[in-house]
Amino acid sequence: MDYVFTILILIGLFVILASSFDLVIGHCGLISIAHPIFYAIGAYISAMLSKQSGMPIPLSILCGGVGALLASALVAVPALRVSGDYLLIASIGFQLGLIELAKHFHEIGGAGGLTNIPSFLIKDFGRESYVVLVLVLAVATVLFIRWLTQGPYGRMMTAMRDDELAFSMLGRNAIWVKVAVFAIGSGIAGIAGGLYAHYFRFLEPDQFGLLQSSAVLTMVVVGGMRTTMGPVIGAIVLQLMPQIITFFNLPPSILGPLQGLLFTGLVLFFMFVRPQGLLPAADLWVGRNRDGDAGHSRKEARS
Amino acid sequence: MSATLEIRGLCKSFGGIVVADSIDLDLTAGRVLGLIGPNGAGKTSLFNLVCGVVKPDAGSIVLDGQSLEALPTYERARMGLARTWQNLRLFPSLSVMDNLMLGPRSYSADSLMDVFFRPSQIRAHEAEARDRALDILERTGLSPIAQSRVQDISFGQQKLVGVARALMNDARCLMLDEPMAGVEGQTYALIQKAVRDIAASGVAICVVEHNVAFIRDLCDEGVFMFAGKVLARGSVEQLINDPHLTELYFGT
Ligand SMILES: Nc1ncnc2c1ncn2[C@@H]1O[C@H](COP(=O)(O)OP(=O)(O)O)[C@@H](O)[C@H]1O
Ligand SMILES: [Mg+2]
Repeated sequence: MDYVFTILILIGLFVILASSFDLVIGHCGLISIAHPIFYAIGAYISAMLSKQSGMPIPLSILCGGVGALLASALVAVPALRVSGDYLLIASIGFQLGLIELAKHFHEIGGAGGLTNIPSFLIKDFGRESYVVLVLVLAVATVLFIRWLTQGPYGRMMTAMRDDELAFSMLGRNAIWVKVAVFAIGSGIAGIAGGLYAHYFRFLEPDQFGLLQSSAVLTMVVVGGMRTTMGPVIGAIVLQLMPQIITFFNLPPSILGPLQGLLFTGLVLFFMFVRPQGLLPAADLWVGRNRDGDAGHSRKEARS
Repeated sequence: MSATLEIRGLCKSFGGIVVADSIDLDLTAGRVLGLIGPNGAGKTSLFNLVCGVVKPDAGSIVLDGQSLEALPTYERARMGLARTWQNLRLFPSLSVMDNLMLGPRSYSADSLMDVFFRPSQIRAHEAEARDRALDILERTGLSPIAQSRVQDISFGQQKLVGVARALMNDARCLMLDEPMAGVEGQTYALIQKAVRDIAASGVAICVVEHNVAFIRDLCDEGVFMFAGKVLARGSVEQLINDPHLTELYFGT
């Protein structure tokens, strides 16, 4: 049963990661694949705060989210002031650099990893309670991102993606929108990191490298960018698939390569056959409040 | 009467190409200035310089007494500077209505604090912008296609959407880059009427246009540009009847 709980928690965490990553890369059009480093920052901050200073875990998880948010702004502000393309390079540099740095920091476990991270909820209420917590937060994340992207902020992101120059000429501050969305997405990833840390109770720097970047990117691409359910489906499919293969009782010498092959094959398949992903996004942005309704209310107000 | 927009000694060159050669130009509230000149004269570049899309090598640009040079494009727009683009630059992923909704100087969601913590203020702001957009759509005859995608409407209508979107700014100074190119018939009359109405409401307007009839009908005054220089300023009749300018315009 614990195995099922762990799978459910991983699915929930990757739903949070994939959805928040879609906010950044899909909705806002920011080219960056360093999402896992903000997951890592949230995880390490929360782990260290609760372990060293005994901070209550809900608070330490929140601090992890804020830390990831601030760190992302630190990367995005200088990078985006140069140009949008620069963000990709700057963020990957930040990701790989920070991972290397963490390996040499013995206070946070170094390359061997950080162990004995305090657990949360499980001792008192069982693993089920943690599953519920993660899944509730996953649903909340998906709903929050849908709310944000279907409101006036989503209209801004859509226009900015279409034509940044025309967008600026209307009086909109493109750099601020990008920094803000990057920070929000990264902050959410940071909270997911805290949730990861207090369940698995072990963190190691190499977990948060390019392999995980490509996994999250694959989830978004396979599921369908800029859709509410795309990243959710992508996260579920890509979490379950490797698990399903393990049921065939194949020898480990075949199993590892097979999983790698499957991921690569999947990405290639989608890139060539269905680049829009399983759920294609609509090509016209439609907000929450249909304009037709507003037209009515206006007429009523006048009469 | 002081000018709404004052350009003094504006210079810019790209490598060897001089697109602005110490340009002095005033735009006055309520008046329409026609910018005439052959292709490559630097008309669009002048707009780009004024908007901050291109940084000048020298010179000053002052809008309503406030210096613009140090400001980024979006802040200039917020001060009441609006323009259209020669190549349209509409947002294809948005409906006509939503293209306009992004146009006010102050947008509902410019502040994230409002987005998260003042939903009622956002709703009021959106409703206000929507009323304004519906009004402009009605005046420009675009109401029937308000919900259409911009790639599903005619080229003339797209041009009109560009003008309508710029109108959302409630600008002090409006710059139109070839609003009539490729437009005919009913849309022509609609754009003409829109520009007249805006000028009458006290906005300083500058129009780049090759359509002589349009310029003659609409502009109070004209300026002839060639190779980044303002060569002449005067009535439109005067400029288009000047044999020397005509020669430059059509080439030899
Ligand atoms: N960003 C740029 N870089 C290099 N050359 C440019 C740039 N923008 C405009 N030019 C050049 O400046 C000249 C004037 O162009 P433009 O202002 O578009 O003329 P007009 O609008 O009067 O037809 C042209 O020769 C054009 O090639
Ligand atoms: Mg031009």
